[in-house]
Amino acid sequence: MSTRVPDTSIYFAVTEGIRAEANRLLSAGEVTAIVGYTTGRRTGSSQPIIVTDADDTARLCFSVTSVNNLAVYLTKAKKEIPKNGKIGIVVKGCDLKALVGLMGESQLKREELYLIGVPCVGVLASTVQPSTELTAETIAPKCRECDAHLPSGCDFLPDVALPPLPQLDGKYTAEIARLEALTPAERWVYWKEQFAKCIKCYACRQVCPFCFCEQCLCDRNKPQMVDTTPRPSGNTAWHIVRAMHLAGRCAGCAECERVCPMDIPLNLLNRKMAKELKELFDYEAGLEVNDKGPLTMFTEKDDQSFIK
Amino acid sequence: MNHTTQHSFEPKIIAFVCTWCTYAGADLAGTSRMQYPANVRVLKFPCTGRIDPVFILKAFQQGADGVLVSGCHPGDCHYIAGNFHARRRFAAFRKLLEFIGVDLNRLQFSWVSAAEGGKWVEVVTDLTEKVRAMGPMVEFKELALEEQWSGVIDTPELKEAYNAI
Repeated sequence: MSTRVPDTSIYFAVTEGIRAEANRLLSAGEVTAIVGYTTGRRTGSSQPIIVTDADDTARLCFSVTSVNNLAVYLTKAKKEIPKNGKIGIVVKGCDLKALVGLMGESQLKREELYLIGVPCVGVLASTVQPSTELTAETIAPKCRECDAHLPSGCDFLPDVALPPLPQLDGKYTAEIARLEALTPAERWVYWKEQFAKCIKCYACRQVCPFCFCEQCLCDRNKPQMVDTTPRPSGNTAWHIVRAMHLAGRCAGCAECERVCPMDIPLNLLNRKMAKELKELFDYEAGLEVNDKGPLTMFTEKDDQSFIK
Repeated sequence: MNHTTQHSFEPKIIAFVCTWCTYAGADLAGTSRMQYPANVRVLKFPCTGRIDPVFILKAFQQGADGVLVSGCHPGDCHYIAGNFHARRRFAAFRKLLEFIGVDLNRLQFSWVSAAEGGKWVEVVTDLTEKVRAMGPMVEFKELALEEQWSGVIDTPELKEAYNAI
């Protein structure tokens, strides 16, 4: 494994670029609000911020702790954001995939957004302190397998060249391969243990840009399809339903896994489904705006070898 | 004769079928006086496209040992494309269940038209015998019986902490 450190020095220039562009946009009235990151209270940490005043744009920043997928603020919590005008949003490559998916599902309109892209070399894993340096050991697992360091199709991209990036081996790929090599009974034991940890806090649902249903199937009790108590039976059902509903839509921002207080490897399920849909239907989420996902369209030649 | 042979395992099979083809096919099997295992419980849906994967989960949780999903052949859907959508959905759902660790031999998909009473008998018999040989589906039932913390309340760490109070 390479231990070379991803070079994060570009983030200073990125921060300057975001601030300047945000200032210009808000001063000129091109957007009503900018969704971005600001420094948090703990040293090195950052948190989401919504800036509506040009004077506040100096508070914007981008660092190795700018982990959040801000796309979620444009779906569920969008009522908090001024609606009368364009909204600027700071996006990493992985977040852009979520926005692209949401545009395809008619949740957002491209013309109502001003995308401020971020050339990203990686962010910190959620398991380390925010003041930690970004290394091959502390980088978020999703960044190890990132193929979108430079978001494409943004309205603005800071004029910063990406440094050469170290090649890191994919943890999700390796873990999926490990589980696939097990017998079904062994996999059941593994997932049973993982799901037993779940406390049904639904943080994974709340943070997911794609879980925007006004009423979740799992909250309904007539009929009650999924047991709501945090017991193994309902937990298993919830995580299966969640993975199924995100299949073909999730592009792997891994926010579910980051917010999970019980450290359940949620993105593993999502990545597995993404892999299967790529193999079955040659579909990859988040690459372009499509009105139909792999599970809402079909071809007459689809595989049916499993059907009698 | 001892009690174990008297109460030998009879698999419970839940069949989710579409009303236009497979239900009519099953009806044909019945009116034609064809014999097939009484283990199958048929649930009628408008279309295979209406069958949510969560129904299959629910069936397993409620004690099904095997699940059959059956509808019209591709191109014959009463609603033009419901079974095409179902085909994709279940192709993905199978992979998910497999990854979670469910034995896919308990889950059967089939196309049975209104004229295929014989095929319905064959599909139901095959699945019933396959599941009978596999024995009861215990995984989901065990989950339902388990309390959240019952398995870990006896760990040495917890006991030590408890004794230290």
